[in-house]
Order: sequence, then structure tokens, then C-alpha cells
Amino acid sequence: MPILEVKDLRARYSARGPEILKGISFDVEAEDFLAIIGPSGAGKSTLIRCINRLVEPKSGEIRLYGAEVTKMAAPELRRLRRNIGMIFQEFNLVNRMSVLDNVLSGRLGYVGNLRSIFRMFSRSDIARGLELLDRVGLSDQVDKRADQLSGGQRQRVGIARALMQDPKLLLVDEPTSSLDPKISREVMALIREIADEFKVPVLCNIHDVQLAMEFCNKIIGLQDGIKMFDGPTETMDRRNLDQIYAMEVL
Amino acid sequence: MRRRRRRAIRFAATLGLAVLVLWSIEATIVADTDWQRIGSPAAVLKSVSRFLTIDFGLIPQLLVPMLETFMMACLGTLLGVFISLPVAWFGALNATPFKPLTYPLARFMMTLSRSIHEIVWALIFVAAVGLGALPGILAIAMRSVGFISKIIAEAIEDVDPKPVEAIRAVGGNGFQVLLYAIVPQVLPVALGTVIFEWDINIRRSAIMGLVGAGGLGLTFFRQMAMYNYGGVTTVILAILCLIILGEVVSTAARKALI
Amino acid sequence: MTALGDSGMAARVARRRWRRWRDPGALMRGGILLAVLVFLGYSVHFLDVDLARLLDLFGRTGRLLAERYFPADLEYVLAKGYIASVLETVQMAYLGALFGMLLAVPLAWFAAFNMTPGPRSLYPAARLAIMGCRSVHEMIWTILFVTILGFGMLPGVLALTMFCIGFAGKLFAEEIEAIDRGPVEALRATGANELQVMIYAVLPQVRVAWTGIAIYTWDVAFRAATVVGFFGAGGMGWYLKRNIQQLENQRVAAILISIVALVIVSEAVSAWARAVMAKAK
Repeated sequence: MPILEVKDLRARYSARGPEILKGISFDVEAEDFLAIIGPSGAGKSTLIRCINRLVEPKSGEIRLYGAEVTKMAAPELRRLRRNIGMIFQEFNLVNRMSVLDNVLSGRLGYVGNLRSIFRMFSRSDIARGLELLDRVGLSDQVDKRADQLSGGQRQRVGIARALMQDPKLLLVDEPTSSLDPKISREVMALIREIADEFKVPVLCNIHDVQLAMEFCNKIIGLQDGIKMFDGPTETMDRRNLDQIYAMEVL
Repeated sequence: MRRRRRRAIRFAATLGLAVLVLWSIEATIVADTDWQRIGSPAAVLKSVSRFLTIDFGLIPQLLVPMLETFMMACLGTLLGVFISLPVAWFGALNATPFKPLTYPLARFMMTLSRSIHEIVWALIFVAAVGLGALPGILAIAMRSVGFISKIIAEAIEDVDPKPVEAIRAVGGNGFQVLLYAIVPQVLPVALGTVIFEWDINIRRSAIMGLVGAGGLGLTFFRQMAMYNYGGVTTVILAILCLIILGEVVSTAARKALI
Repeated sequence: MTALGDSGMAARVARRRWRRWRDPGALMRGGILLAVLVFLGYSVHFLDVDLARLLDLFGRTGRLLAERYFPADLEYVLAKGYIASVLETVQMAYLGALFGMLLAVPLAWFAAFNMTPGPRSLYPAARLAIMGCRSVHEMIWTILFVTILGFGMLPGVLALTMFCIGFAGKLFAEEIEAIDRGPVEALRATGANELQVMIYAVLPQVRVAWTGIAIYTWDVAFRAATVVGFFGAGGMGWYLKRNIQQLENQRVAAILISIVALVIVSEAVSAWARAVMAKAK
């Protein structure tokens, strides 16, 4: 049974604006590391954000473990979100907070308002946060302010934060666009390792097709809001790529 | 040709301004002043010289008023901050709850607070709550709201949406988004502004006593009433001491914030 | 460096004992916060701030306003004598601002750390002068000048001048300190003296910012001018004091309204002037 099922997803940003997603359907299985590729403006970011409803879809079905996401009310949605980890293109860390506090903020969905004020995370949470930071190789940066870190380090904090949630699904939005090529490869390798280790399926937006083909087992190609390709990486060839990126050449 | 015309206009404007100024000087200062009473420059200098002594005996009596003035400034600033928070919330375009009503209301409050001189605020509050330190605190608070809330509102409007997105994505509720994504961004600017305003408020606090609101202003008033000019100078020096203290603390604190 | 899983069991165990307050910075910040809160609490006690009176405030003020101050005696403020005083106030304000700024220009030059012609003598003296003018509240200047020169507009203008020297002087100096050194060095290289450098290299750079500061100075000068009369220096403030003493509350209300209205109008004019300037750039 697929972890995530998306059926005929449509989205637009404003009531009278153009349709960004024009009926997308796909499934994500338990062991998938699924890449979404396509030219800019194809709707990749929008698609990722519809899954956890940071963007409200106009119509369509999204089921995570069978639960219908699009119909959830606010409290249920929060519970959903704490089960979905998200990694962002620009890291989206709270710059003035320490690295550890940023990682711990991944547990906010589980923590009440009063404890949020005093940052009273449980001891097990703190231990897990330290463990995760160790896992991503940042154990000596624990108390540093997030904006004192390099890009690659910040993305690793973002990864640790997502893992803090014990997620059932990882949404990754262009994790390497703000990083240089060498660091990009390391970050993708880290995400792949961790996904395999913690057995979490990944849905990943990526513009670098090479990286997609190297680390992902399945690829979805998007162009102008329409799915042009959906299949295992091995079956992706030159012709498919040209089709997906056709508009970009122009 | 154009250049010459512009220069001619500028020359005419400057000339017009000079005439206006000279007329004003004549109409206000020259005509209105009681030159007889002032007397000669020598008499003026004599007048000034009366201020040029320090009344050392007064100094021990200044310590309590100095503390009062300082405390009034602190409490006034604190109260001002409390009032500024909702005003700033209403006055930020991206956060205001009901734009057609709450935003203009907040903007009006900001303007009102800055337009009314602290002495006028003090008079209003002395009439409302009587004499003592309280009206001074209230006056300082109301006067500070304008600037503090304006800066905080601007900071809220300039907030980076990315951490907001992240905390929402993690499953945080509105309060947690505020606390973890918005407050850390707004807090440094807000604190810097509060410290800046606190420094200015020391200056304002010192004169609150002139209209009955306690502190060194009252001492100043009394010394003037007793024609003890040396005492007046001493009080002014005490005020300057407080202000220097405020400057030192303020500069150090604002540096530490960066 | 890709993820490493193992940085040592010992290290991991040691770090598990992490405590938030171990971080020395956090400890100090917490300490300062605590000290400030204690001081504030003590202040409330020391100043005999009657919190009950504070809560009573809203009721009292409401009743006070309704009974004694309403309706405001608007006829009074539209009378010729009052209007004349408004004119006086405006004149005092711009004279004070003008003289203050004229004197602030050379002072700012001396007090600018990068352009001062006398870094050992003029710089500290100018800094001191500006700080002195700023630190003494405009009302205190007013009282001092009134004591020496008697009532009237002269002490008012002088007090506003001193205030504006301090206000504009600091801001002017900050602008000078922020200029681009290029034109300065170029001009110095041609052999120009410091005054010429100031006029031809510095002033053109600060001109725009200084105009903005000038408008701002006018704003604060006018706001202060409305009140200097309270202490004997001419203008609307004198009417305020008289009517307060005579307990003519409805007239006081009218005067306060007129003060607020005028300041708001003045700020609107300034905002318009700023917009015009921004477009002319």
C-alpha cells in the first residue's frame, strides 16, 4: 500500500490566477526516494507544499497512510504536519537561535504553549536532538547561533530538525539550490543515507537532474503543471528529458 | 537658459526667506522683548554669573530625587513598551487583525503619542491622577509609545517568512509560530529601540517635576522658587550625571545586542 | 564531511548532560534580566506607585473629561489674541530651528570624527557642546533664559536654538561621518584647505540627508515651541498655563486640542515636503 497517494491534484495561488497544478496523480511507496524534476515555474514547489497544505490545493485527493489530507481541520492538520518532515531550499532556520534549539523546534507540534515559551523540551527530546546533530556531523556546533554556520552546515541542521519529528514522510524542496556542487552532493548523500536508515520515504524537488538520477529511485517530470514522466530512474532517457524541459530551451 | 531660470528662482526664494526671517525677528524678538528689563550686556552677564556656582550643601538632598527620576524613566519606558505591543501589532500591515479599522487606529495613536509634548501629557495625567511619580510615569509611557510601536510595526512588516513557513510545516500552532519565528526576528530591533528611548526618557523624566510629577524636576522648581541659582545649577549638573549614565549604559547595551 | 555516525560513545554520554544554562552567555543574560526585574519591582515600591490609582485612572479620566473638559471652548481658540499667539509660536519655532541649524553646521563639522579640522581640540569641544545642548531639556533652557532675560519670545527662540543645535548637530555630524572619502581625498590632493574640502566635497554628499534632518528638526522645534510659553517664553503655551491656573478647564481642553491639531498639521506638511524632495531627487 503506498504511503502517499495523490489523485488529480489541482492548485492555484489566487482565485482568479492561473492554474499552477493541472491534475497531478502519483503514488509514493515506503522505500521510494522520489525526485520531482522540471523547468522553473513547472509547479514543483507548489506540489510539495500542497502535500502538507502550506499551499491549499484547489481540488484533488491527497492521502497519507489513507488519511485524506485535503479535508483536515486545523488541529488534525497540525498532527499531520508533525508527522511530515520538511527540508527547505533556503534552510528556513531561525537565525538567532542556537543550532540545538533549531533542531528541537522540530518537536513543537508535540509541545504545549507554556513549555514552548520557556523552551522546556523533555530530556529525551534534548538527548535525541543531540544524537541527531551527532549523526549529521554537527556535534561541535550545538550551541552556535544558526547564522554563524555555513550553507551546508545549515542544511544539515534543517535535516536534523526534520528528523526530530520522527517523520513518516520527508518533503524536500530543492535542498541543494543554495549550495555549491561539492556540498550539494554531500547533502544529497546524507539525505539518502538517513532515509534508508530511518526507513522514511522521500519526495524531493530537485532541479539538478544529475543528482536526481544519482540518488533517487523514481522520477516524476513536471512541465507547466502537468506530469510528463513517472517511472523508475533507469527508464529515464534523453528523449524524456527533452520533453520535460522543452519550454526551457525556448 | 533653463539653468539661469532655476538659479534666479533659487535666489529669489533665498531672498524671500531672508526677508521673512528678518521680519520675524523684528516682530517677535525685537518688538516683544522688554529691553529695559534686560538692561545692558553687562547686566545680562551678571545675571548669568549668578548661575555659575555650585551649591554643595544641596548635593546630599539630590540623591533621592535622582533615584526617583531614574526610576520614573525606567517604569515609564516599561509601561510604554507594554502599551506599544498591541499598537505595533495593529499597526503592522501584515499582522493587523482588521485592516480598515485597526491599522488606521494604530497609526493615529502613534502620531498622537509623538505629537503631544511630554509636558502636555504630564499636565493631562496630573489632572487625572494627582501629583507624584505616577503621572510622570504615565506621561513618559504615552510619549514613548509612538516611536517604539512604529519601529516594532516596521520590524513585523519586514519579517522573513521562511522561518514562519518552517514552524508551520513542523506542526506548530499560531502561538508557536509567533514565538519561534517572529519574535526572534523582531526582538533585537525592539530591544535596541527600547534602550534608545529609555535613554531619551531620562531626559524627559527630569522635567516631569516641573509640573508636579516628582523627581529632580521638582527640586529644580523649588530651587528656582527660592532664587537659589547655585542650587539650580547643581540640579542641572545632577541631571547631566544621570544622562551620562544613561548614555553609557545605552551605548554598551546596544553594542551587546548586535 | 559527510555524516559520521560515531564520534565516540564517551562524547555522546557526556553531551547528554547538556543543560541550557551551562552556556555562559545565557547565564549572564538571565542574570541581567533578573536584576532588571528586581529593580523595576523595587521602583514601584519606592515611588509609592499606587496601582489602585492606576486602575482607577480610566474611570477617573473618563468622568473628568466628560464633566469638566467637555465641551471644549473652541471659540476661545479662534479668537484673535490666541491666533496671534499661534503665529508667534510658529515664528519662534522656525527662527529657533533656523538659528539652531546654522550654528549646528560648523559644530557638526568639528564634531565629525572623520572631517574635523582639529582632532585634539575642536573635536572634543564640539562633541561636548552638542552633547551639552542635547542633554539639557528644552524646557530647562527655557526657564534659564526666561530667568536671565525676562518673559517674551527672545528666551523662547534662544531656548529652541540651543535645543536645535544639540538635535541637528548630532544628526548632521553622523551624516558627515558616513560620507564617501573619495571626493575628499581628491580635493585634498589639489591643495584645497579644510574649509574648501568641507564645502566642495562634503556638503554636496550630505545635502540630501541634511535636508531631511532639517525637516525633522522643524518638527521637533515646533512641538517644543507650542509648550515653551508655559514657562514664560511666548506663544500658545502661555495661554495654556494661564487657563490651567484659572481652572478654566474647557478652555484648557480647547487649547490642548489646538496644540495637537497644529502639530499634526505641521507633521503633514513635513511629510509632504519629504515626498516632494524624494521625487525631486
